[in-house]
Amino acid sequence: MKKLLALLMCVAMLISFGVSAAFAEETVEITAWVYPVGNWGDPAVVGPIIEGFEAANPGIKVTVEYLDYTSGDDQVNTAIEGGQAPDVVMEAPERLVANWGAKGVMLDLADMWDETDEAEVFEGVKTACFTGDGKLFVYPAVMTAHCMAINYDAFVEAGADQYVDLTTRTWTTENFFKAVDALTEKFGGPVCAVFCAGQGGDQGTRALIANLHEGTITDGTQYIAASEGNAKALTELRDSEGVAIDASIVGGDEIALFYNETFKMAFCWNAAQQLNPNSANTGAGLTINGQKIEYMAFPSEDGVPSLEGGIWGFGIFDPAVRSGDNVDARTEAAKAFIKYVAGSEEGLTATVKAANFFACRDTIKGASLEGIWADNEIMAGYTTLLSNLGPYYQVTPGWTEARTAWWNMLQQVGTGTDPMEALTAYDAAGNAAAAG
Amino acid sequence: MKNNLNSGVHRTTPYKVISVILLVFLALLFLFPLYWIVTGSFKTMKEINSATPVWWPSEWVTTNYEKLFSRQTANLFDITIPFVGKTISGPEVPAAIRWLVNTVWMSVAAMIFTCVTATMAGYALAKKRFIGRKLVFSIIICAMALPKQVILIPLIREMSGLELYNTLWAVIFPIVGWPFGVFLMKQFSETIPGEMLEAARMDGASEIKTFLRIVVPLVKPGIGALAIFTFINSWNDYFMQLIMLSSNSTLTIPLGIAKLQSENSTDYGLIMAGAALAAVPILTVFIIFQKYFTQGITMGAVKG
Amino acid sequence: MGKRGAMSRALVRRETISGYLFLLPSLIFFVGFVVYPMFMCIFTSFFDSTMGRSDIFVGLANYKELFTDPIFLRALKNTVIIVVVSVPVTCAFSLWAASVIYKLQGPLRSAFRCIFYLPVVTGSVAVTVVWKWMYNNYYGIFNYLGKAVGILDKNINWLGDANFALGCIILILLTTSVGQPIVLYVSALGNVDHSLVEAAQVDGATNLQVFWKIKWAQIMPTTLYILIITTINSFQCFALIQLLTSGGPNHSTDTIMYYIYYEAFKLFRYGYGNAMGVILAIIIAIFSALQFRLAKADTSY
Repeated sequence: MKKLLALLMCVAMLISFGVSAAFAEETVEITAWVYPVGNWGDPAVVGPIIEGFEAANPGIKVTVEYLDYTSGDDQVNTAIEGGQAPDVVMEAPERLVANWGAKGVMLDLADMWDETDEAEVFEGVKTACFTGDGKLFVYPAVMTAHCMAINYDAFVEAGADQYVDLTTRTWTTENFFKAVDALTEKFGGPVCAVFCAGQGGDQGTRALIANLHEGTITDGTQYIAASEGNAKALTELRDSEGVAIDASIVGGDEIALFYNETFKMAFCWNAAQQLNPNSANTGAGLTINGQKIEYMAFPSEDGVPSLEGGIWGFGIFDPAVRSGDNVDARTEAAKAFIKYVAGSEEGLTATVKAANFFACRDTIKGASLEGIWADNEIMAGYTTLLSNLGPYYQVTPGWTEARTAWWNMLQQVGTGTDPMEALTAYDAAGNAAAAG
Repeated sequence: MKNNLNSGVHRTTPYKVISVILLVFLALLFLFPLYWIVTGSFKTMKEINSATPVWWPSEWVTTNYEKLFSRQTANLFDITIPFVGKTISGPEVPAAIRWLVNTVWMSVAAMIFTCVTATMAGYALAKKRFIGRKLVFSIIICAMALPKQVILIPLIREMSGLELYNTLWAVIFPIVGWPFGVFLMKQFSETIPGEMLEAARMDGASEIKTFLRIVVPLVKPGIGALAIFTFINSWNDYFMQLIMLSSNSTLTIPLGIAKLQSENSTDYGLIMAGAALAAVPILTVFIIFQKYFTQGITMGAVKG
Repeated sequence: MGKRGAMSRALVRRETISGYLFLLPSLIFFVGFVVYPMFMCIFTSFFDSTMGRSDIFVGLANYKELFTDPIFLRALKNTVIIVVVSVPVTCAFSLWAASVIYKLQGPLRSAFRCIFYLPVVTGSVAVTVVWKWMYNNYYGIFNYLGKAVGILDKNINWLGDANFALGCIILILLTTSVGQPIVLYVSALGNVDHSLVEAAQVDGATNLQVFWKIKWAQIMPTTLYILIITTINSFQCFALIQLLTSGGPNHSTDTIMYYIYYEAFKLFRYGYGNAMGVILAIIIAIFSALQFRLAKADTSY
């Protein structure tokens, strides 16, 4: 027994040294933490991209760790606190600029930004990735437009297909509610849900509410959601029998319910979803029983929506929160990595394909990117929605608090609080946080 | 223990019958999650997402497990020899297997460290009349009321300072430091007859000899209970693992399952497979050692 | 215990040295990974501490803010509700279950004990996934069975309704906390001195009288232990809330533990979070001490 114990202790000691100081060779090892942006959470998809980079840069080895949206933030935050943040992180400006950038733990990448980037990257993307004082915390790679989805077969069955136009993929507020009523009549309510249990998918509910009666959420610096239009939209949604304001589900649950045909519409949708609904690999644009899914823009009074965009790119953490050997060499290697995956034709094409989104520029270093999705009908068609993109306001200061306040606002409306009152409280919470 | 069970308690009354029926019903409720996890892990995508409950898989498939095992790979183990700096790595296996290895290793290490330190400390607190004994014991009792989450941020900074962040030690050490084990072993050690210790001292036995030859055998049931208790607790200490571990090669199985969920979809089949993989080993351990556990934990608690 | 006087000074010294040597390994871990962080936590609660900049001393400002923060007060209220409901229910239920189980035959007894301990062993992450499905508004088993049996005429949004959500959380909490008490009570009831029970029965005492007058008093130490352990666990209810409701809807399931996590890990307000932690620790200590007092007073008659 004693010997066994001693042996175990020895093994323990041995392993303890294992993780920390294993590598001391010439290659520079960097770590990249990625959120599941499209298929960027799937090692089988990301692996080849990394291999492509390593083949082109023999001196650099990249270790990828896959984060999830439920616990990923906690892991990054604790890693920052522990001084062990990764070299590269892939996510959206709302985290890299408004959250960690604002806390001063991101490295300014402005020196990576050259004239071609300046000329080629879309204007809206640039404003989201640069801070007010000209610091670049995200080197942008991909973008998409968030939209909603309908179960087209169910629409036909309920006679609601007359309200949607599949060429422009847009519709009016009036037709949206007519469709909801028709579906409810046919299948019983609710047929869709304003989900508000918290966590991800806030963009869907925000865009729905803001579009219904031409409301706005922020002007880029202040939260100004307490408008007549937004209040009207909330009131109508709450009073509609076919719409549930459901505080028990998150965006992912809504998709699952849409996928198994409980819901006939979903508000947490985008191109990647359309290609692989519920990540179930049971066919593009199809529900569990093979009913047809069509993507649609959010309805608005005049039928011209202002969609919320999603932007994703790569950032590097400040050396102060990345301990370990060769920090400078690792920073250089990380920049080379970002240049490849987001700033070269070969790398960016692969990144875009993996994310199932679109490039945030038309050309890269002069080379056209138009052909990326030429082979894919769904993606080629989806570009029609991109022309309806509104401003990217998720970098408004105080975004983290505002997101929590958003869910609370919806929950309050769901339990009977006056919409205007709830919206005012939302603005107050967001603005208080923005003020620091 | 004297068998007193036959003394007039075998009358069957309506109350007793109803109680047992109710108890069976509740037991089914308690069994349900496990049943659902295990059957769910073998269901097809269609059945697991179905809008009406599918009680039994119409067709048993292993796709969920295949998906779980094909997601990522890692070395079975990495052991670095100190001072030489050479790393011995195991063969490449599915990452889920490495997570399982990590979890087992972490729980076993926490268990051994806890049992050794707590038995020694419990004995000292119960049987040694030293200065400051009451104070030390009071501090230990107070610390048990402390909410763990509060000390996490300081712990992260400390672990990072010790270069233990993102190693399994960062999870193991705080478990070992947690004072419950000391408390339990102190309760146990109270039962050691003082005369035996006195006799050993008269015979001129050294402190270590007394401890190993007399104390340890007497508190063995307690050590057994503490071992199982610590093992289960470390296995399920999800939050500590979440904040201390971040790389594929240090992940544990509960953490691994939580990570299988993505923002826009929840692959319940995959999660069930992960949950089954996490639950089955620990359940087996528990069922095998159940007897020691229930015996030990009771004796410790009742002797107040 | 009165041996003190008989011990010589040399013996005291010897005992002290050897006592601390035996304590040393444990103390290293205890001081290093519990006491030191605990001290840091108290220390930081007097600072405005966040990510990416050095701390600013603010004195008692965090504590003052706490008692004007409506969400904290709400969380405090919810936490107290959880404790006040779950502790007595856990104790009463496990005592009842144990009183049935301990009379059963050997294998049956251990099977029941084992089953009620299952949720503890399976771990909260896995168990929560299933409960979430059971509570589901649209196809969950509660609504499904409720409607099939005819108790419910329409779906209840269990976790999404502020009237039910906290109750739902408490129900899960109960299933994960009765395991240990049942194990303890089964043994405690088995160890009750039967000569006393028989004597009372000869004197014509009813079953209920036997229970209260004799058994209850004898299992008091077990009850006390269960009360304290359950109280601590209920106060620290966290994982269920993080995984199921994030404190919603309308803050109806916010607990102090979850709010600490939210302030510290989402908003990076470490000082404020730590101040809450200090308050929570004090409350738990007071509750435990009260129970100790009450139970002690109870046993003495």
